[in-house]
Amino acid sequence: MVTKQVRYEALVKALHTDLYRYAYWLCHDKHVAEDLVQETFLRAWRALDSLKDEKAAKSWLITILRRENARRFERKRFDMSEYEEATIIDAKATSNEQEIENQWLRERIAQMPEEYREPLVLQIIGGFSGEEIAKMLSLNKNTVMTRLFRARNQLKEAVDGEPKLRGLHNG
Amino acid sequence: MDDLHIRRSILANPKARDEAMNEAIKNDPAKQKFVQDIDTLDEKIAQAMNIPVPDDLYNKLILRQTLASHQQQKSKTRVRLAMAASVAFVMGLTVNFMMFSSTYKNLGDYAIAHVDHEASHFSNTDQPNVTLASLNDKMASFKGSFDSTFGTLIFADYCRFDGSKSLHLVFQGESSPVNVFVLPNDEEIEFNAKFANDALEGRSLNFNHTNVIVVADKKEPLEQWQERIKNDIIWSI
Repeated sequence: MVTKQVRYEALVKALHTDLYRYAYWLCHDKHVAEDLVQETFLRAWRALDSLKDEKAAKSWLITILRRENARRFERKRFDMSEYEEATIIDAKATSNEQEIENQWLRERIAQMPEEYREPLVLQIIGGFSGEEIAKMLSLNKNTVMTRLFRARNQLKEAVDGEPKLRGLHNG
Repeated sequence: MDDLHIRRSILANPKARDEAMNEAIKNDPAKQKFVQDIDTLDEKIAQAMNIPVPDDLYNKLILRQTLASHQQQKSKTRVRLAMAASVAFVMGLTVNFMMFSSTYKNLGDYAIAHVDHEASHFSNTDQPNVTLASLNDKMASFKGSFDSTFGTLIFADYCRFDGSKSLHLVFQGESSPVNVFVLPNDEEIEFNAKFANDALEGRSLNFNHTNVIVVADKKEPLEQWQERIKNDIIWSI
């Protein structure tokens, strides 16, 4: 019992940050993301005995979270609305230039099609390889690599194309 | 390796580069610049993606789990208590059943077992030492009496016959003692008129409220014994 508790706390400590960020990029809502993470860890606690390989913990949790997120759509169809700018974390009020740039990029990431964004989040936040992402998303590896390429390419074009506008905008 | 392929591959995964790619990048300043740009872009993306995590999220997660497992524990305790109660109940029933029910399913099995068990106490040459009066004293509780002693009575006393009180009489037989049991009619135990094992055989007679069982070795003329019992016992009801 105690060891299970210790294992669980270690798991939460190590992975709740990544998981929250992943959830956020999945749903674009701080509160929903928090709920998703809570629900995910609760399920993880109940099924903790089935987690044999600690190295697989992160992808295991992400799989639970994705399922949880899908369930949310089953429950409430109207939640499936388009992304709203207002729900993106707004750091403008208290930020420096770096934060402004982050914010601008966040909006670009949020505007990306889901199918491009998700692999990119998994690669950058999760640190997963192409194979691992393919497995988690039930896609083949070539599809994942193509989407990763397109995702980065879109962001690169956005960054390359708008520095002046950004400057003016925030100047 | 062509330029487009390298660009694609770097955009798909900037960190994964094989030998050939590294070689191509080393020899081309344009590619080096591209790699640097993408690395910078990735850093920016990572920074942008690293949105602030609520400070108390960790504590909330631990709290939620603690509450959930407490709840689980409580219901587990309840289930365990219920299981323990059920087990105790079933054990009680079983003990009850074993203590107060007949071990043997029929009269014959029990009678033979009883005779086998006590065989060493009696020998065919024992002297008769029971008077008709004391025998009838004992028979009174079965509401019957002998009007004469038939054969040679070696022993007469009450015995437990599979949980019911019975009278055990031992007579001298032709080669070994003959056992006669007088016992109340018990509905739980199956009546069988004839029974036998390798060495012994027996006959049961059913009177109104009483069974009389004769058990002896196979040489004994059991029918004669039964006849004598029928003729010599007078039942008061």
